[in-house]
Amino acid sequence: MGYQFDFSFLQGSVEALLKGLRVTLELALAANVMGLVLGFVLCLLVMSRWQIVRWPAQLFIEFFRCTPALLQIVWFFYCIPMMVDYFIDPIAMGVLALGLNLTAFNAEAYRAGVQAVPREHLDACVALGLKPWQRTLFVVLPQALRSALPVLMTNGIGTLQQSALVAIVAVADLMYVAKSLATEAYRPLETYTVVALIYFALSLPVSRLVHMIERRQDAVVQR
Amino acid sequence: MNFDVGVVASYWLVLLKGLGLTIAFTGGCALLGSLLGFVLSLLRMSPSQWVKAPTWLYVELFRGTPLLIQLFWIFFCFPVVFRLPIPPYLSVIISLTLYMTAITSETFRGALKSISAEQHDACIALSLPPQVKIVHVIFPQALLRAIPPLLSNVISLFKESALISSVGVADLMYVGQSISNATARPLEFLTTVGIIYFVVAFPLTRLVGLIETRFLRRFAY
Repeated sequence: MGYQFDFSFLQGSVEALLKGLRVTLELALAANVMGLVLGFVLCLLVMSRWQIVRWPAQLFIEFFRCTPALLQIVWFFYCIPMMVDYFIDPIAMGVLALGLNLTAFNAEAYRAGVQAVPREHLDACVALGLKPWQRTLFVVLPQALRSALPVLMTNGIGTLQQSALVAIVAVADLMYVAKSLATEAYRPLETYTVVALIYFALSLPVSRLVHMIERRQDAVVQR
Repeated sequence: MNFDVGVVASYWLVLLKGLGLTIAFTGGCALLGSLLGFVLSLLRMSPSQWVKAPTWLYVELFRGTPLLIQLFWIFFCFPVVFRLPIPPYLSVIISLTLYMTAITSETFRGALKSISAEQHDACIALSLPPQVKIVHVIFPQALLRAIPPLLSNVISLFKESALISSVGVADLMYVGQSISNATARPLEFLTTVGIIYFVVAFPLTRLVGLIETRFLRRFAY
């Protein structure tokens, strides 16, 4: 190993990196909000009584789960503007692609949680005369959210990492900034190392938290 | 906007070649990564902190950073650090294998942990020596249980392998993108590529479900 590491050139580009980081965080957060909300809606659709609702929802999930995220993003960026004949802001497009992808994965995560809601609770809702929307929102959702939380959070970190893919369609996120810095300075090694560490520093606390929650849930189950 | 399926037909051989490459990379790296992941999961169970800490860091690093950055890192940095000019193919194989190793080691660890304490107690009661216990009691059960998540890992590797197009390896994604650029028909070609990925991945996901419900019920529980 005869390579001399030199991180000093990055001092001038801290601002650029922070800007990229902001875009990455924006993308990841917006996609997560979308995934958490729409994921639950989609989960309800998949568990619907009517085939005509269930079927398209299931197809949506399978399509997003069985094709590469990169392809989905490229598809959204090239094909949606062509289809609607209208230019959409790249960041909004990135959020849409990442968010819908996460929606599909989260719907699956919620499903197990919704199925785990005991039959007695639903009976109790009938006894208390709750309307269907009240039952869904105040009885089913909180319990589903609680049991699905570790998977939802893991999916959330996954989306943070998938968000790096928008760099390929030239959205100026952290990865894109890294790419341009690396080619500008001819120092890919330092740049990519630093950026990898930034992503790592963002995901590690969340993954630790997931471990903690899982352990607590296991402990509750065993009791 | 008009959707013309006819254009796709004349390129099917090229797309098929791309798919072949994608499957070859996925298969090869999945096999290598599973073997290494198994070894890594055993190392993670080691009682010594000196073995456990680095393997933990390895797994967290590879799971906590985007695969794209891992690809770029190895693609750009291996030649610089080790003064070895390596072809793109090799750097892609290395990064996919390292990634697969990290995710499968977690799978195996989960499977090994899922063996209940009673099994360990029974081995003590029967006074089985440790190597007999590991080879004949723990491994067979753990490996069977690891099959469905392992297969899911292979499916996600298949999807993630689309990223290798970004370093210029001519896989399905790369072929699809270059044809769509050359013919200015992204809608047809990108959709076709999506359908091809789906057609391969979807039956595999069904297979995972089938194994879980039928096969494992009978043999592993």
